[in-house]
This record gives sequence, structure tokens and C-alpha cells, in this order.
Amino acid sequence: MVFLGGQVLPGNVGRAILGPFADQRAVDALNHSLGVDRPLLVQYGSWIWNFLHGDMGTSYVFRAPVAPFVIDALGNSMKLALVAFVLVVPIGIVGGVMAALNFNRPLDRIISLGGLSVTVLPEFVTGIILILIFGVWLRWLPIAAAWPKGAGVFTQLYYLILPSLPLFLVLFGYIARMARSGMIEALDSDYTRTAVLKGLPWRTVIWRHVLRNALLPTITVIATQTGYLIGGLVVIETLFRYQGIGSLIFTAARGKDFPMLEAGILTIGIVYAVATLIADFLYSVLNPRIRLGAEQ
Amino acid sequence: MSKNHRILDLLRRSRTPLENHLIDGLIDGRISRREFVRHGSLLGLSLPLLGRIGMAAGFGAAPSLARAAGAPGATIRVGSSVPAAAIDPVTIADAGGLLIMQQVAEFLCVDGPDLVLKPALAESWKPNADGTVWTFKLRKGVKFHSGGEMKAEDVVASIDRLADPANSSNALSVFTGILQKGATKKVDDYTVEFHLDAPNGNFPYMVSSDNYNAVIIPASYKGGYEQSFDGTGPFKLEKYTPKVGASFVRNDDYWGDKALPDRTEFTFFTDIQPQILALQGGQIDIINQMPVLAGVAVLNDPNVDVISLKSSAHQQLHMHCDEGPTKDARVRRAIALCLDREKLAAGLMKGRSALGNDSPFAPVYPSTDTSVPQRKQDIAQAKQLMEAAGAGKGFKMTLTTERYLEIPEYAQLIQNWVKEIGIELELNILDQSAYYGDAVFGKSNWLDSAMGITDYGHRGVPNVYLAAPLKSDGTWNAAHFKNKDYDQMAASYIAALDLEAQKATAGKIQKLLLEETPVIFGYFYDYLTATAKGVTGVQPTAMSQLFLEKASKA
Repeated sequence: MVFLGGQVLPGNVGRAILGPFADQRAVDALNHSLGVDRPLLVQYGSWIWNFLHGDMGTSYVFRAPVAPFVIDALGNSMKLALVAFVLVVPIGIVGGVMAALNFNRPLDRIISLGGLSVTVLPEFVTGIILILIFGVWLRWLPIAAAWPKGAGVFTQLYYLILPSLPLFLVLFGYIARMARSGMIEALDSDYTRTAVLKGLPWRTVIWRHVLRNALLPTITVIATQTGYLIGGLVVIETLFRYQGIGSLIFTAARGKDFPMLEAGILTIGIVYAVATLIADFLYSVLNPRIRLGAEQ
Repeated sequence: MSKNHRILDLLRRSRTPLENHLIDGLIDGRISRREFVRHGSLLGLSLPLLGRIGMAAGFGAAPSLARAAGAPGATIRVGSSVPAAAIDPVTIADAGGLLIMQQVAEFLCVDGPDLVLKPALAESWKPNADGTVWTFKLRKGVKFHSGGEMKAEDVVASIDRLADPANSSNALSVFTGILQKGATKKVDDYTVEFHLDAPNGNFPYMVSSDNYNAVIIPASYKGGYEQSFDGTGPFKLEKYTPKVGASFVRNDDYWGDKALPDRTEFTFFTDIQPQILALQGGQIDIINQMPVLAGVAVLNDPNVDVISLKSSAHQQLHMHCDEGPTKDARVRRAIALCLDREKLAAGLMKGRSALGNDSPFAPVYPSTDTSVPQRKQDIAQAKQLMEAAGAGKGFKMTLTTERYLEIPEYAQLIQNWVKEIGIELELNILDQSAYYGDAVFGKSNWLDSAMGITDYGHRGVPNVYLAAPLKSDGTWNAAHFKNKDYDQMAASYIAALDLEAQKATAGKIQKLLLEETPVIFGYFYDYLTATAKGVTGVQPTAMSQLFLEKASKA
């Protein structure tokens, strides 16, 4: 799909590398040396063949193997996603739960309204505002997410705080809302009433009965956001000069660097599949009905 | 100041007739001191000699460009755009890449910010009588970072590689019709001759930093430049990480004055906004290239100095001359008369541009004939022209262009202005790659659109602008402009060795293009480099190169 999609884009690889003002003979020579003047099926065949043999191919644009680029970028993306995740998931869930427990009281209003307001702000807006506040005026945090080579875990974390904040803002409202509505629904349900009526302490009711059911939809939402957190952060990566897989794919698509593009998209596909698998697993842990179904 | 004829005669004695003609021009007042220096350097006269002639001709000492040297030992941090592809002198085409390459590799001569050619790897150069053969004398004792001495073979190989159509050379469009493969000849170890296809008065610019591919690297180079980053420059590569950045250290074997900074660090950005934030946040010292619209925030920032270089970079608005409503030259002139150029320069470009007069002759070129009247907004005359052309009722057409720099805003301004004479423009603003397409006729929005706006980078001489976009057989002739008189004039301008002959032809070309107006040149914008306060000695060129050997930090 990606392969075919890339072919219908205007322009060709040699032209993209040499620019519009290069001589046509030079473009033809470059296309020939890259092998992109061969028939489509031949190109596709050789790409698939190499991929199945563990060779992701050689970048047209950088004339170097694709794999190190993709692996580095994926590693970076995972780090950023992880930091954002660790920040947003607990805080988002706690926020949602607090809101639900204080349904229609001021705390609920503040969390719901505040969460929603920051969610609708695009991340390039919150990103720039955060950079201005923490990077330019206060100078507390580094603006670019590129840490010095050989930096330890804590230095890397320090560099990742600022870029993960806009992600936190985008996702917080979303996750909190899901958790809140799940909670409200669960609090309102028959089994909660039963649990309360049979005299269980409030704390046990919340932990054992309400949360377990309330968080199921939230987990699905979080899982579907993984794809975005890993591969969809082009804007954040550009703003914070972070070498993630989102901008890798974006520049590859612009430069018609198909080997890079294909490898990048396949990698994201795999990450997405794994994330969904983990979500399904968590779902089954939390939901005894599914777990039992599997055993029978 | 009086002329010293005795010294003048002495200085003239060993000069060629062409050089003496130039000296006559200075003495008679036909050309200015500045024009004299620039054209003299093109003909290969050394700057000290030009200075002595100027003194003897009564112009006083030349203003010294040398500034007090700053403190050595700094680490200079630069923000620049990401090199778009593998860095290779042969194929390189983007500003980010050529900036990195130029940190380590050098040219035969350098086209400075004042468009005066300065010797670098070549010590001097000279044309033959008709400008078909140029002889370059190379500097002795220049060492490559890899150890060997730079000699004539390396120059021949480096230039030949670029002139070879089989090599994917990005300089092929510069050399086509000028220099063929095999036409660069070694005379001895330190002398090289270029045998040109046709007379060319501006040839040294084609092997200067103006032709950014033309760096001199070892003859043995076989590709894979990123493995060696070999060159002769004042800095050596320390580390290059594609898409991330690069660092360089001082080359202690450099042939010239050793670089002041200990290190330089380049950080790549995909967008300008994060660069501005990084400069303000103190994470970089220099933004190599800052577009004026994006840079508004720092133009008046007291903590930032902006180096503004006059350049010939511009946006060409082409109109088809062979079909549609703009086939009639009167309609094209009418459209050109709608533009309020003063407003463009002051408003859109924040005063960082010069007015264009619908020809490639930017005010920055010494050969531009400044006596040709400047075209100004004149709606009444435009309406008359529309009437005369039978288009008084106006018409609809599409303006196709690219999303790049201030071009979309420029297109909107034009759309508003031409409404006054009844032309309704529909804007079709495309992604850059969609606009350029395959960049050949029939497969490119750029070359096939009836009206379009295209970005053209800076050049030290107008030769390229005069040929490819305007000549009848030009490969970038988006206006489909075919005019035999123009072709002849352009050829004779390109051949002319003598500044006055260039000026005379330039005047004719300027008038012809005002009459025909295949392309509207609204403004020529300045090249802006931003530096943090206290950073000195930074020397950018309008080609995106940045010379840091004299840079220091307070």
C-alpha cells in the first residue's frame, strides 16, 4: 500500500534529491544508479525479498542502510512516549476518578473543563507557550530534546520533560474524561449498589468493584493512543528537534525515500499491534468474563 | 585627491589591454570605485593591486575590511536546516548540506558578501583576449585534511566530475554550454586552464563559492563523501550525525590564518521557529539563514544582531507568452503595473529587500544599468493597456505557486492588486514537490502553469537567471518566452569581459524585458543571519555559506 501510494506522488526520487534546477541528465543518471528506473514490480519484488531476509534496505536519500535510522528513531520515540505515558496515565486516571467521585461539584468542573480546554489546544501552541515559559524566560528546562551523547537516564529524563508536557496536556483531558464517564457509569450500576448494600467498606467497593469495570474503556483508549504517541508526533518532534520516528517517516515521504518510508511505517505497524495485544491482555486481567471465556 | 600618473603608468605597464581599459574607466569616472574593485577582481587583479591603482587614481586608501580580531578559543554553535540528503559535492543541492560541506572544503575563489571575488585555493586568474580560456594559478602548499598536497590534478578532477553528464552532477545546469567534461586542463602542478564552449566574462564565478558544488577535493574521490569529509578548509570534521548535527575542530595545518574558534557545532532544525526559540534561549549562537517573515520576532530583539546581506534572491512571477490572456505583452505590462513595489518592500519584506524592475538585474549587480526607470504602480495606465489589448472587461485565470517562504502572502497581495483592473485570480498553492513536479515541460506545474511564482536563490552574477528562465531554449522558461533579440543580447552580455560592455547590454536587456514583461521581478530580498549579542566575526554569504574562522564570543 505504502509502496504504491508513494509511486503516485508527484516527482521522482532523483528530482527530489537534486532539486528542481538540476539538469535532467543528472537526474536520470541518479535514478539509474539508485535503481528506481526499473519496473515497479521488480522494485517491489526486490524490496520484499530483502525485507524478508532482514534487510530493511538502503536509503535513497542518505545512501546508507535504513535500519540504524529506524531503530534510533524508534528508540527515541519510545522514550518520549514512555515519559509522556508515565506522566499522563496515572494522573489522567486519578483526575477522572476524582472528578467522578465529586460528580457535579467544583472539583469535577475544574478537571473536566480544564482537561477539555487543554485538549483542544493543538500541541504546537502549547509547545511554543511551554518553551517560552520554561526555556526562554525561566530557563529551567532545555528547549531541544537532544541530550548530549552518553547522557545518563536522569539527564535524558530532564531533556524529555518539556517535550512530554504538551503531550500530557493533549491526552490528559481525554483520558480523564474516559475514566470519569466509566466511573460514573460503574458507580451508578447495580453491582455497586449491591456491594454497598451488602456492607462492604467504601474503599473496597471502589477498588474491587468500581475501578475494575470503570477502567476498561480507558485502557482501550490508552492503547489506541500508543500509535499516536509513537508515530504521530511530527509536530512535537519538529518543535523540540527530537529525532523520533514520526518525523523520520514525514521527511522520508517528502523526499520520496521509499525504503526509509516503508521500513518506518512497518515498524509503527508492529508497535501498534504489540500495544493492542498488551491492551487486550490487560483487559482480560481486569475483566473476568473474558478470562473465563478463554479458559472454557 | 590628485592622480599620480607616474605610479599609474608603472602599475599599467604589465597589464593586459582589457585590464587597462578597466583602469581607464575608473580614471575617467565611467565606473565607480566599487565597480572597479569588483570587476577587477573578476579579471583576476589582486585586491592589493586594485587598492594601489585606486590610490594612484586619486581615490584615497581603500576602506579596510579587516576588523579587530576577537578572542580565540570559542565554541561557536550554529542552528541550520537539516541536510536534505547524503552530503556529496557532486549531487548536493540544499542549503543545509552545502553549509556543512563548506565548513571543511574550499573553492578556487570565494564570492564574498560584497560580490567581490576573493582568491582562496587559486591565487590569481586571467582570461585570454576573447574570454574563451581562463587560466588559474593555484596556491602552493595547501594540504588536504587527509594529508596530500592540493595540486592541479585535484582541481581538474573536481571540476571534471561536475561537468560529466554521467555523474548526477547538480552543477551540470551551471556548466552546460559553458564547460564540458575534459575541457579543464592541467598546465603544470599549480596551473589549470579552463577551455570554454563560448566566451564568458563571468566565468570565475562558476568555479567560486557561487557554484556551491565546486569545492576542490582529492582527485582520488570515488563517492561516499560522508566517510571522509576531506577538504582543505580551516576546520576539520569532528563528527557528523545525519539529521542531528555536526561538529568541527580547528585545522592546525591550514594554509591561511588559523581559525579563531576551537570548535564549531552545527545543530539541524527542520523548522525556523524552534531555531529562533533556541537562539533566544541561549542554546545556539547563530541562525544561519532566517527568512524575514519568520524572523519578525527577533528583528528588533536587543539581544540579537541581524546581519543583512543584499542579495539577488527573488521570486519570479511568470506569465505564459504563447497562449491565454497573457499572450499579449500589454496585458503582462498591465499586471506588472498593478504591483505596489514600495509597499511590498516595506510591508511584506519589512524593509529587508530592494525593488525589482522586472528583469534579473538586481540593484546589487554592478553591471545593472541604474538609468533605466523603475516601474511603479500605475492603475490608470494598466487599465488603458487592458483596453488597448481588448481585455478591458477583465478575465479569470489561475495563479499556481508553491508553499514556501512569503510566496503565499505575495500571491494574495497580487490577487488583490489585479482585481483593480478586472482580473480575477484564483490561487492554487501547492506543496513544493507538487509545484515543481518532474521539472520538465509537460510534467510540472511550475513550467506548465499559465501564471506562477517560483523561488530563485541568490547568484553572484545574473548569468543563470538570464539564460535558463528567459532564453528561447531555456530549460526553466516557465513563461514560454521566445524572443530572438533577447537571446542575442543575453549571449552578448554573458560573453562580455568588459564592465562597460556588460552595462550597455544590461541596459538594453532591461528595457526589452520591461517592454515584454515575461516575468515580474517584484523585489530582491536580503539574506538574513541572526547572531546572539557578543558573537563577532561571523561571515555569511547569500548562498547559505557561513565562514566562521574569524568568529569569537564576548
